[in-house]
Parts: sequence; structure tokens; C-alpha cells
Amino acid sequence: MDEDYVKKQEATIRNVLVKNLMESYVPFPLDKKIATQWAYAINVPRGGSTIIYTSYMYQMANVFKSYEKYVPTFGSLGSSKIIASIGAKLIKPKEEDIKRFNAILQNIYRIVKRSNENIGYLYEEEPYSGSLLYELGFMDEFKEYGKKVFELFKQHKVSNIITIDPHTTNTLTNLKKYIGFDIPFTPYLNLIKEAKGTGKFVLHDSCLYSRFLGMYESIRTTIRSAGVELVEDPTVTGKGAGFCCGGPVGPLNDKLSNEIAKARAETLTSVNKDVLVACPLCYANLSEFCNVKDIAEVIA
Amino acid sequence: MNWSQIISLVSAGNYMEVEKILQDYPYIVDMADHLREQKLKVIANLDTYVKRTMDSVEKLGGHAYLAKDKDEARKIIGDLVGEKKTVVFSKTNVAYEIGLREFLQERNNEVWETDLGEYLVQISRGWPTHIVAPALDMTREEAAKAVKKIDPSINENSKIEDIVAAVRKFLMSKYVKADVGITGANAVAADSGSVALVENEGNIRIDTVMPPMHIAVTGIDKIVPTMRDALDEVMVQAAYAGIFPPTYINVTSGPSSTADIELRRVSPATGPKDFHLVLIDNGRLEASKNEDLKEALLCIKCGRCYFSCPIYRTLGKEWISTKSPYNGPTGVMWNYITNKDPWPASYCVHSGGCKEVCPMKINIPEVIKYIKFIGSKQVGK
Ligand code: SF4
Repeated sequence: MDEDYVKKQEATIRNVLVKNLMESYVPFPLDKKIATQWAYAINVPRGGSTIIYTSYMYQMANVFKSYEKYVPTFGSLGSSKIIASIGAKLIKPKEEDIKRFNAILQNIYRIVKRSNENIGYLYEEEPYSGSLLYELGFMDEFKEYGKKVFELFKQHKVSNIITIDPHTTNTLTNLKKYIGFDIPFTPYLNLIKEAKGTGKFVLHDSCLYSRFLGMYESIRTTIRSAGVELVEDPTVTGKGAGFCCGGPVGPLNDKLSNEIAKARAETLTSVNKDVLVACPLCYANLSEFCNVKDIAEVIA
Repeated sequence: MNWSQIISLVSAGNYMEVEKILQDYPYIVDMADHLREQKLKVIANLDTYVKRTMDSVEKLGGHAYLAKDKDEARKIIGDLVGEKKTVVFSKTNVAYEIGLREFLQERNNEVWETDLGEYLVQISRGWPTHIVAPALDMTREEAAKAVKKIDPSINENSKIEDIVAAVRKFLMSKYVKADVGITGANAVAADSGSVALVENEGNIRIDTVMPPMHIAVTGIDKIVPTMRDALDEVMVQAAYAGIFPPTYINVTSGPSSTADIELRRVSPATGPKDFHLVLIDNGRLEASKNEDLKEALLCIKCGRCYFSCPIYRTLGKEWISTKSPYNGPTGVMWNYITNKDPWPASYCVHSGGCKEVCPMKINIPEVIKYIKFIGSKQVGK
């Protein structure tokens, strides 16, 4: 491995991330109009005690995927204003991606609304959870930023959070452990009761849901109960045999991240041609190499 | 076959094989759980156990040493071996950790690895790819090419059996004149001073009984409270490595001995007259006192976590490279313990398969996260 490159890259990412998060609660400049339009379109109530928490993960998945590519630009720039203007130009999701994540977010919202009528959303004021800080090992910064996120939720009088992706769920689990974040949270997949779906898939487990958050079995039950067929092969989808989409190493080494995605896609498609994922980053990484759908695209 | 094809095949094979072994021999899982508890006791009190082990070895008529680092270990073993000797090595990762083979060679000794995989790595001037299967990345053709150097009758069309036979013939010529056999240890029993080793080839048996001197070199993490634990450890290691029952389990308790005349135990008998145990600290003691790191010392080096790791499966030995003989998830922990090198941890994608398959139930991602954190503190602001 190229140690010197890793050190340089880590330093730049940390500086960029911390600066952006501390100033504006997002990991890099992003167009919040685009990120929140899904909710405006269906009139999701603003605020409220129970909220759906996107943490911008579906909206930013493709940018995260190419993070390594953006980092040198970020690193060579000076003030945050310049980053903001250049960043805003750089970081605009493609039309088709916008359409896709809007549909997914709206579907998830409709699904969770069945179990609770009063679910709000923080719109532009929603903070990014800080997953990337945690996952890159920047623990001091993670805790510091986590406290800000916790405060923000308290200011908005949030008392119940519905998460919609594994990274955010895992991050809140760790905020609970490290800074005493005590607002209850539940992944939307655990709230699904009467959803319907069709199709035959091989499930690519989210590492975090299935191997860290104890949802390996429950995710399968949820999907199957909706009427979706899942094909299993213990050497590919077994709890200890399945592996990551490569996403988390993307910021440090895009090539390595893609090689892992390619290898994973090959093993998955040896079981079934269509692949199902539970995480927007898995989608972004794997969709270059196989036919992928998010759970929220096949059940409703 | 390229690396990605080899590793996919081997990983799936190992996964199913271990699952089957655990079904056929269900008591292995209980043994692993018990072993974890016993090893935790040692980690909590490593100094005491080191002393107990050394005393037990001395009582058997053997000699025990504690080396605090690589230099000390090399010096102790270098003095024991001397110069212009023939030395046969069984596969030992600790020897790689301290650069022992090269050190002894520089002192005009003839040194041969006797484990087939390790031998192939030695003659092709490579570096081990996996702790249990060092030549995992070598195809039959590549192995044949390497062995051709010592036996011209081998060529790229030779069968695996012929390659193995050629190596056997070569090694036999070295065993008969070997002065010293150097092995590692899968476990060392503190109560009896016994060293337990597991293998399939038979080379460790020869290395431990044929030369007049046997030196076992291992880390203090391999100490377990009792002889029973030592035998548990070899069984569990073999099962999770995917080869069970193992062909041979070897136990060495001091130099060879006999009690055949008047039931009085005397040494030596047919086997070695000298037995030395060299225990190596090299960061382990410090790790045992670090709450975030100490679980790593439970590792029994079965190598199973390698197969569930996406980074290892993609990069192979290039991940940690020649910085350490330990690679894969456990290698990230062990390279840090022994070299204070946090950087390979940066690549960890917290896939989590490692902790699912680990017989010692080490929360490997959590330990790696700590190492990542140490690295992040060293990154320039
Ligand atoms: S960490 Fe666990 S799985 Fe990996 S080599 Fe050690 S004992 Fe085996």
C-alpha cells in the first residue's frame, strides 16, 4: 500500500470535512435545494418530534463514491467560500440520480408514515451525521461534531428518529456509546409492516446492518414477508462469507474500492443476476458492475 | 489463475470446509470458547505466566529465555546456533517477525525452511502470502519453476506429487546433517513447559527430534495456563484453518528423555539433547495492558479472517507487504503490535466478516478502529 499517499489524503480529507461540518453541517458543499426537493414535492411536515433522517446519504451517495477524485481540488483551495463556490459547481448529482433518490426517499417516507402519521423532516436544517469522520478513524473530531449534531436535534425538539441507511444508523449507535446521544432511533426497515414487493434477488448485505447492527436475519424476514424472493448461497451471502461493496475505502483509494466492488458483483451475480441492496453507498459502488436495486425500489 | 480467482476459490472452500468440520466435531466450538477464557486469564497477568512458563521449562531440563525485542531475540538464538551450522526451520511467523532466517544466514549458517509452502517462498525469494498457507498465491507452474532450481528433473508440466517428492528428497539430505531444528509454537503450557505444534507434512516432527538441538521461538501471547489448553489450542487452530483432523500434533516437553531403566527419567535419549524456548515480547506485553488492543493477543493464527476480508482478497500480500508476516485483519492488529505501524488499518472497510469467523471471537473491527484512530493522530494538521 502507498502509505505516504494515504497520510496525505487523510490529512486533506480531515481538514476539508471538519471545516465544512463545523461551519455548515454537511461534509462538502452541496445544493440543499436538490437534496430536499423530494420532501417539498409531497409536503412532508417541517420539524416535529418524530423525524425521518436522511443524513443526505441517498442524495450524496455518488459524490461519496468519487470523493477521492474531489479531495485534491478541495485540498488545494484556501477559504471555505472558494470551496463553496467551486464545490457547488462540482457537486451536482446527475438528473437521473436525482429522479431515482427522490423516488426512493418518497417511498420510504410513505412506508414509515403507515406506522406513524406524524413524521416530519428537518429539510435544509438537517445535519449530516458525521459517519465519514467515524469510519476514517477521526474519533476526536467525530465526538466533537457529534455533540453539535446532538444539540441541533435537541434545539429542534426531536425525540424520535427514523434512520433510512445503515451508515447513519451505525453512527447514531456510536454517538450513543461515545457521547451519550440519547434520542431513540430506529431504522425504517424495522418499521415495515405491510409492504408489498416482487422479484427475485440475491441480497448484498449492508456490512453495518447485517454484521454490526444485528439485522442479518430481520432484513431477510422483512424482504421475504413483502413477497420478494431471495436466493442464498452460504459462500456468498453467509454472514461471515459475504463482504463489503468497497465503498468505505473510496475516499482513500478509488481504484481499490472499484476492484472490491467488481469482485463482489461477480460473486453476487454467480448466485442471481439481480442484486438487492439496503444502502445507497452499496448501490453507488455496485451498480457499475451489476444490475442493482435498492430495497426501497422493490417494496412499497 | 490470477490472485482474485485463487482467493475466491480458496475463500469459499475454507468457509464451507470449516462449517463442515464444526458440524462433524461440534465439541470444537466449546473448546474454542473455553480457550478464549483461558487465554484471557494469561493476558490479564502476562508477566506471571511468562515466569511460570520459564520455570516449568527449566524444571524439565530445558532452557528458557525472554527477549524484549527483535535484536535481543536474534542475539539469543544467534549465540545458541553459532556459525557454520545446518539449521532446519519449521514454519514460524515469529522467525519472520524478527528476521531470523536472514540473520542466521549472514552468520554463515545453512538455513532451510522445511514446510513446503515456506520452502517455496524461500527458494523463490518471496514473502508469505498467508499465515497458514504461505505460498497461497503460487500456481503449480510457479511452484515447479521454483523447484526446478534444486531439481532439474522438475519442469512446468510436472505433477504436484512430483514437485512435493523433489522437495522431500532435497530436505531429507538436509535433515540428516542438521545441527539445529528451529520451530515456532502453536501454544506453550505454563504449567508443564510443553510446546504444542500442529502440522500435516511431518516436517515439524523431524525438525523437533532429528537435530541434536531444538529451539522453539514464539511470542508470549502463545502461553496458555495448562497443557490441556495447549492441546485445545492446536485442535481449534487446525479446525478453523480448515484441516481437521490434523495429520500430526506434536508436544515437546524439554529435551528427549527415557525412564526405561529403573524408571528413572534421564536425558537425553534418542531425540535432541538440548531444548531451548525463546519467548518474545516485542510489543505484546504493552498490548496486554492496553484495553483497546489486548483482544488481539487472543489470536491463534488460524488465518480464517483473511478470507472474509475484502481488502486482503483484493490486495493480497501487497497490503501489509514485507513489513510483517501477518497480513489480513489479524495482520493489521499484529503489524501494529509488533511494528507500531498503524497505516494498513486505514484501508479497513469494516466489512465485519472477520469477527464473524474468528474462533476467538475477537472484535477485530473494533481493534482496527482504535489503530486507525492512532494513525489519524499522526496525520499532519
Ligand atoms: S484473528 Fe481470529 S480468525 Fe484471524 S487468524 Fe486470529 S484467530 Fe484466526
